[in-house]
Amino acid sequence: MKAEIDPETHEGSGGAGGPPQARPRSLLNRIFSTKLDKCTRRTKLIAGLFILVYGAIAGKLIYFGLLPVQPPNNYSSASDTVAAARPDILDRNGQILATDIKVTSVYADPRRIIDRDEAVDQLTSVLPGLDAKELWQKLGSRRGFIWVKRAITPTQKQAIYHLGLPGVGFMQENKRVYPDGPIAAHVLGYANIDGRGISGLEKYIDSQGLADLNVAGFKLTRDDLKPVVTSLDLRATYAVRDELEKGIEKFKAKAGAAAILDVNTGEVIAMASLPDFDPNQPVLALDPNRINRMTVGVYEMGSTFKALTIAMALDSGKVTLNSKIDARQPLHYGRFTIHDFEATHRILSVPEVFVHSSNIGAAKMAMMVGVDGHKAFLRKMGQLTRLRTELPESAEPLVPKNWGPLNTMTIAFGQGINVAPLQALMAIGALVNGGFMINPTFLKRSEADAKKSETRVISALTSEEIRYIMRLNAEIGSARKANIKGYFVGGKTGTADKIIHGRYSNDRVFTTFMAIVPADKPKYLYLTLLDEPQGLPETYGFHTAAWNSGVITGKIITRTAPILNMAPRQELPPEPFPMLAKAGYSQANVPETSNGGGLH
Amino acid sequence: MIRFLNVAAIAALIGSAIYAYSIKYQTIFYAEEIVHLQHEIRVEKNAIGLLRADFAHLSRPERISALTDRFLNMQEPSAMQIVPIDALPEKLANDDVIARKLEALGLAAPTNTPRDVSNIDPTTPSAKPK
Repeated sequence: MKAEIDPETHEGSGGAGGPPQARPRSLLNRIFSTKLDKCTRRTKLIAGLFILVYGAIAGKLIYFGLLPVQPPNNYSSASDTVAAARPDILDRNGQILATDIKVTSVYADPRRIIDRDEAVDQLTSVLPGLDAKELWQKLGSRRGFIWVKRAITPTQKQAIYHLGLPGVGFMQENKRVYPDGPIAAHVLGYANIDGRGISGLEKYIDSQGLADLNVAGFKLTRDDLKPVVTSLDLRATYAVRDELEKGIEKFKAKAGAAAILDVNTGEVIAMASLPDFDPNQPVLALDPNRINRMTVGVYEMGSTFKALTIAMALDSGKVTLNSKIDARQPLHYGRFTIHDFEATHRILSVPEVFVHSSNIGAAKMAMMVGVDGHKAFLRKMGQLTRLRTELPESAEPLVPKNWGPLNTMTIAFGQGINVAPLQALMAIGALVNGGFMINPTFLKRSEADAKKSETRVISALTSEEIRYIMRLNAEIGSARKANIKGYFVGGKTGTADKIIHGRYSNDRVFTTFMAIVPADKPKYLYLTLLDEPQGLPETYGFHTAAWNSGVITGKIITRTAPILNMAPRQELPPEPFPMLAKAGYSQANVPETSNGGGLH
Repeated sequence: MIRFLNVAAIAALIGSAIYAYSIKYQTIFYAEEIVHLQHEIRVEKNAIGLLRADFAHLSRPERISALTDRFLNMQEPSAMQIVPIDALPEKLANDDVIARKLEALGLAAPTNTPRDVSNIDPTTPSAKPK
């Protein structure tokens, strides 16, 4: 290269001393003259440069061609997942319990805000709920993205749009809405503004892998997510909640809960616990008074536990329906005495122990089985361990640490052990459905699926005996208030004195009522419980379960049975308890009678 | 001859270039249309989601039951009103002379549902159940 340039530069520098007009000509000459013989290397250089440049361009093109195809509308598909999409939650008939809607949120890029004070002024004028000082501070931060306000209305969006503030923009987000308000709130739980499940089924859905997918950055849209079908029936749940609300108001109770369980599949068809909250405004959900009393609260279930005691005694073979239990004297143990609430002072048959709700009778029957047998039976019935369902909230039952004979005697009639009501519901369901323990579920389940996981806990005969005495109790005993004509109801009341300052209180009670419909071939088990109901003039001042929980359960049955496809029967079933009749229990199929029996 | 071939080749070249470009622009046009339609679909889906939520909110049992209490004067159905299909009487023969006469009299207009008598008892309005 030097060989070519040197002569020219030499010529140029040599020309400096020559005439001045000769210089431009020689320059032009130098530019436009082509001496190919002298230029081969230069041409090669230029060709090489061209090859390099075009090669680079071609390489870049190939590189672009190999890049994965980007979705055409990049911005909006990214913003769609700002608050993660969640699957719809439906009731068993496909009604919507929870769904996502799209809302607009305002964000700002503080680095692009020109006048911070003006921006704060104008934004707060459109969004009155905004804290001006906090926004001012946030806009001063060096981050590239802050939320100004999430989920604004279309009018607000229009107003902010017309402000024309630089550095302020909009994004579409998913917002979780619960169109039915507080109905089934405790089962659904709620999701926060970022689309994460905080409690209830919403949290369960996250635990099934949805949250992990979102964290991993998978952009899920609504179309990718299959709706979650719950076991709840929206209309029945509403009816249950409505009747419970009226009942709590009428009996001036502090709180209450009610549920319907399908005893053959373990599905919870309806559940309400009052006071509750609206998942659209989940602040109230944190109030400890608004817990789900069916699963999180543990209570002494009272006399409804006698069904478990009697089933245990019958199943062990220690007693039959014809056995006689002496309830003439109060039962003494150490310095404790067990009385009957409405003492009969006579020898009772096993059905009479149930119908008259005799504490003495229940305690004696439990003692026939013994402490170990009692413990083993309750363990088998799932009463001593925490019940786990899809709902993340659950409570451990309160079981006596040193379980002696006295504990067995009191637990026989439902005092001295605290269980979650849903847990008790599960056990009674197993007693009446033919003897199969089925874990309750809040998701839709078929009978065939339930059959796969069920375990037999008592014999079919014992189950029929329990159904028989529950039916008897609805005909002549304390469950008469819920004996709705046409549905062949069976039931059991329970009134437990509440423990106030370490002593059982006489005037503060916790009442429960369980009903099976229909008693000959149960499909649904109803439970209502009230915390501290008051006696009313029309209940003659009584605050026992039959007068409040029983009445409410009756109303719930009347309202929900047609919704749940239960046809009322014009005639009573001719032979509701065939096994008992075959076993020679003469009164088994005798139609309704009406002699005494208190309402407790 | 060679000149003619040259002209033909140039014409073919220009023609194929025009064709290629038209295909290219069509592709761009369709791609844009796809994006546009996808956007529209998304907007519609969002609107459907909103309407479904709205419908569920408006048809929630709480609201319907409040509205029926207010505007419909109906009795609560009793269990005895529900009967199995077999319990219904047989359908009568079509030729019913009396019915034809009644029809001729114009009595076929639909009858109103019986009003809930307990609700319109004029003597004790305060005792009305809420």
